[in-house]
Amino acid sequence: MSKPVTDADLQVVARSPFHVFYEGPAQSVTAANKVGVFDILPGHADFFSILNPGEVIIETGSDQVNFDINNGILTVRNNEVTFFVNI
Amino acid sequence: MRRASSIEKESVQITTVEDLTGVFESIASTQVAKVKSKVELSEEFFQLLWKRYSAIRIDPKSRITTRGLDQKDARQVFVIISAEAGLSGDIDQRLIETMLQSYEAAKTDIVVLGTHGANQLTQRGIPFIHYFQVPETDKYIDVSPVIEAILPYSRITVYYEDYVSLGVQEIKTIDLMAAMRGMSQGVEDDSEAMTINETIFEPSIDEIAEQMEMTMMTLTLSQTILDSSLAQAASRFSAMAVAKKRAGELLADYHLEFHRAKRSESDRRLREVLVSLKNKRKRTTGGH
Repeated sequence: MSKPVTDADLQVVARSPFHVFYEGPAQSVTAANKVGVFDILPGHADFFSILNPGEVIIETGSDQVNFDINNGILTVRNNEVTFFVNI
Repeated sequence: MRRASSIEKESVQITTVEDLTGVFESIASTQVAKVKSKVELSEEFFQLLWKRYSAIRIDPKSRITTRGLDQKDARQVFVIISAEAGLSGDIDQRLIETMLQSYEAAKTDIVVLGTHGANQLTQRGIPFIHYFQVPETDKYIDVSPVIEAILPYSRITVYYEDYVSLGVQEIKTIDLMAAMRGMSQGVEDDSEAMTINETIFEPSIDEIAEQMEMTMMTLTLSQTILDSSLAQAASRFSAMAVAKKRAGELLADYHLEFHRAKRSESDRRLREVLVSLKNKRKRTTGGH
């Protein structure tokens, strides 16, 4: 059974121009930028970053979504996380 | 009149042509459907990206989208997006002819995508400074080498084939920067600004803005490549549909001719039998 969406969840959209990797609630996301690997949890500060090539991990609560990226941009605002990848 | 057996042989060949054009027609129709869905996805992606980009408050003068607006006499580049292969009807020819109407050799460089377009330019003796293969639309479209080649120009004009419907494809001309601004029209700007006081930017806000602008420029060019692929697939579909129809008509003509020849052959044989019977009868009567 899927976990109910709460205010404490992140709302994640992860997509490339022709493909949607994931769209829905999540408990955390992990990616890497110039500084290193980082996690985004609910309540994270507003954030804009250019992503390094590597793996993106989205913990949905009931499942884990993993995918590799060549490049990308990440934005976080009010618990809304958007990945623009493989451009 | 030709012999029925030779007409039958030719009609088998026409049937093969009809079958083949039928297969090409259905491949083209599948391609149209596939590329159409990609165009829609790519548009959604662009709109989402633009929304986030519009939230970053940076100086509009430093934006790539306003570049070149005041440099009317600077050197310009024409980007021609043609087909990689033939069988697309006359659409590439029309593309080159449209481009030539505004071409001024002294202040224009040409970058061509697609072997078909490059061949057409060579045949007409028009020089181009770069040639690229059309990136495959079934896979990830990498237009970064093209962007790198055209970025130094103040004005970038793209000539491409636009899909209107299965039966209609038009030649379109766009200013790439204007198209970028145009693609964002109708997308609501993000009203809630993301400033350096409340937002973490890694790396700097300028680097992120530049990356987003390059991304949108890449997307705009990819979009024109997708549109062109769609138009070429539709043009191929129309050309194949016409060829299939023509083959069908030809086949009907052959069937008619075959039956006429068959009938004429059997009439001739019957005539020969009757004549020989008549002669035989004459000979028999003469003998008595």
